[in-house]
Amino acid sequence: MSTFKVVVSNIQQITPLIKQFSFIREDGASLPPFSGGSHVVVAMNINGRLHRNPYSLMGSPQAPDTYHIAVRLQEHSRGGSAYLHHEVKVGSQLEITYPNNLFALDKRARKHLLVAGGIGITPFMSQIEDLIRTKANYELHYAYRSQDHAAFTSTLKEKCDERIRVYVESEGLSIDLKALLSKQPLGTHVYVCGPNAMVVALIETARSLGWPENHIHSEQFLAPPSGEPFKVKLAKSNIEVHVPAEMSMLEAIEAAGVDAPYSCRGGACGRCELEVIRTDGVLVHQDHYLSEADKAAGKKIMPCVSRAKCHSLEINL
Amino acid sequence: MERGYWIRSKPVYSTLVWQQQANAHIVLVEGSAGGLAAMKLFQQMHPEHPTKVLYARNPVVQQDLSIPLSKVVPDALLMFETTEESLVAFEAHLSSACMGLRIYVAGSERFIWQVAQMADKYGIDDSDIIKELVGTLARPIYCVHCKTISYEAHTNIKKCDGCGKQLFVRDHFSRRLGAYMGLMVDAEDPGQIPSIEEIYP
Ligand code: FES
Repeated sequence: MSTFKVVVSNIQQITPLIKQFSFIREDGASLPPFSGGSHVVVAMNINGRLHRNPYSLMGSPQAPDTYHIAVRLQEHSRGGSAYLHHEVKVGSQLEITYPNNLFALDKRARKHLLVAGGIGITPFMSQIEDLIRTKANYELHYAYRSQDHAAFTSTLKEKCDERIRVYVESEGLSIDLKALLSKQPLGTHVYVCGPNAMVVALIETARSLGWPENHIHSEQFLAPPSGEPFKVKLAKSNIEVHVPAEMSMLEAIEAAGVDAPYSCRGGACGRCELEVIRTDGVLVHQDHYLSEADKAAGKKIMPCVSRAKCHSLEINL
Repeated sequence: MERGYWIRSKPVYSTLVWQQQANAHIVLVEGSAGGLAAMKLFQQMHPEHPTKVLYARNPVVQQDLSIPLSKVVPDALLMFETTEESLVAFEAHLSSACMGLRIYVAGSERFIWQVAQMADKYGIDDSDIIKELVGTLARPIYCVHCKTISYEAHTNIKKCDGCGKQLFVRDHFSRRLGAYMGLMVDAEDPGQIPSIEEIYP
């Protein structure tokens, strides 16, 4: 993926756990425009190891002079969020990919229903800008744990007026998905981003109410889970790569100097798909891209989040 | 016509079957064959969600199924003399309907695609409509020369209602127009019209 260098121009503490980072281009050139819902992948060199994490771009997509991302400090961070929170300062240099959109608004929608949970608000921060600019019909439903987690709420309330509803769990409020989804006018599209349980519940509720599949949009980037170490044989490059417990297969392949395709690095986009030639164990699929049938067939793997429980695995790369 | 050919744009129709995952249902049927399709649908079951049946009787040309149909679906049935009237009622229904409404249609190709175009105005894709082709295979024809749509083509060649050209009725279908493409048949050899046969009874 092609990348460019940026400099951190501003850092803001948004909540006790969330920081917002602003980037400008290192060479002073203008930043590429993007569409609402886009993300970039930020590359970080942590103790000699390259980490790449995807983050949604916030703010106005039209002619951005600055990019903004918001990063939540993860409890079980593999290093990325902790590095950004603790090591990155104003003036630090980072490398990022060009924006890519896996969570675009559907232009045919007569109404857009946005549902966010916690840090899942970030892709909506730029979508809202597009919706306001195009005078589209929309509603934002935003749930978070407590006032301590209320990221961007006041900005959003100002921008969205009566189109936003917030649900603070500690105050006993949660989104009644069934009630919400059963009274949406025909032609509504729903978009959800948040914790896994919320995304799954929304998709299932919408389906059970008869919402067509192409009206349901979700985004959820998984963090690569750790597992047992194994070996990957790259058939075309004819090398063997060791995948340590705490590294993803994709990261291990990259660390070995082999270029592998990727976009979301979170098991959502399908870009990194690799063909499995053989294995002496079983594949552990963690993505939400492959179909159940594909997963059962065991011929494909998404190395950004999936692993194998085996001694060795051979792939066509 | 060649054997073993298939044209991607040509729509494929199924039979009406209730969709279990729904918020509400609306069934649009036309003529006696459409009325029968609705009766068969209620033979499957009476759905638990709010349901409406819009029946265009077209009584002049068709056998009228109003009486048996009103016995089977006493509370959900709305009857109309013509398809145009049922489409007006359909639009009124769509404008206040919620997501999760399942749409079913049984009738001629012309009617099916009139319903699909109406639903499209309300943001519903035709692939989400359950469609059954009944009654007639007559095709709506779009004249690629004068852009008029002529209805009820029963033959392989049909005179355009707009420009009067003899059109060859093709298998290429436009979902946006809800019609098959019609191309002047004697463009190269004016006056040379192949024999006209009924193939869409
Ligand atoms: S990079 Fe998107 S699924 Fe792996």
